[in-house]
Amino acid sequence: MELIRNGVAKLAMAVFAVFAFSAVYALGQELVKSATLQSLSNLDISVEQALLVADGAIAECKKDNSPVSVAVVDRNGAVRFLVRGNGATPELVDNARKKAYTARTFRQATRDWMTRTAIDAKDDNGKAIDLNGQQYLENTIAEVGGMPIIYKGDAIGGVGVTGSKGGGDGDEKCAKAGVAAIADQLL
Amino acid sequence: MSRISHIFTAAAATAMLLATAPAYPEPTRLTQEQTMAAVGAVQAYAKKDGSDPSTAVVDRDGNIVLLLKGNNAAPHNIGLAQRKAFTANMFKMKSIDWRDATKPGTERANERQTPQAIPLGGGVPIMIGNEVVGAVGVSGTRGGQEGDTAGAQAGADAAAALIQRLQAQARN
Repeated sequence: MELIRNGVAKLAMAVFAVFAFSAVYALGQELVKSATLQSLSNLDISVEQALLVADGAIAECKKDNSPVSVAVVDRNGAVRFLVRGNGATPELVDNARKKAYTARTFRQATRDWMTRTAIDAKDDNGKAIDLNGQQYLENTIAEVGGMPIIYKGDAIGGVGVTGSKGGGDGDEKCAKAGVAAIADQLL
Repeated sequence: MSRISHIFTAAAATAMLLATAPAYPEPTRLTQEQTMAAVGAVQAYAKKDGSDPSTAVVDRDGNIVLLLKGNNAAPHNIGLAQRKAFTANMFKMKSIDWRDATKPGTERANERQTPQAIPLGGGVPIMIGNEVVGAVGVSGTRGGQEGDTAGAQAGADAAAALIQRLQAQARN
């Protein structure tokens, strides 16, 4: 009788040990998987935000009846929204897209990027920086009127405006108004 | 004397022509407001539909006036929307009807070789009477090609309504 009871206890302990070991092992595997095999989920500008940005930019430019074209690109620099101004050519709209792309990819206003990549550009210490080669990159454009859309340090998009009566400065003013339209969502 | 009178008559006729007809033909052109109204209507349809489509609007020359890519659009959606709009504008009919009219093996099947055109439903022309002034293309609604066509129709109707209002104002 004693022998049987001992045997059963030993068997139970063995089963428990196997179970505990496999549980710990499976947990470990899950932890490794979650640390290494997780797919990315990045923030991106939404359709609704893009339409607000475009409306804001168009409204600002309507103050002096400027027939502007507006482009909003997503975090990949691809077109989220694009609209041509009255009378603008298809080529002109593409400039708006390039402005948005340039602002997005370099995460700064195209005006600042132009200063930084100018042939005679210098850094804060007065040392020459030759970044002019960036202007040779595809889809970039050295024109004022592109603004990045930044959420907590993360560039989630860009907006580009072209065709305002105020030239590059007018374009930039409208692009800034566009970003301001979703400022409360970018805090 | 008769020559001079001929010249006078010709001059008078020319002057009358110039006075009545505009110097250049002025086709109805889509404006930014009208295309924005179109995309607004497509978005409203999408909201009811619970879908997230991509939309393109082209003008009467087939050039892009507006593009909108859905939040979770597949990579092909925006280009497809553009081609549907292009097709509807070029053949002056819904792209779903053009698809049916150009079935393989029929007389018109060769039309499917047209660059940029695509035999898929979702493109609808913006009609003012019998005149086509552009087209709306939609890709990515819930209802397949019929759903895309319904969404694009909502957009085309919204743009056409604005154009007709503008024309009515001009007449008054």
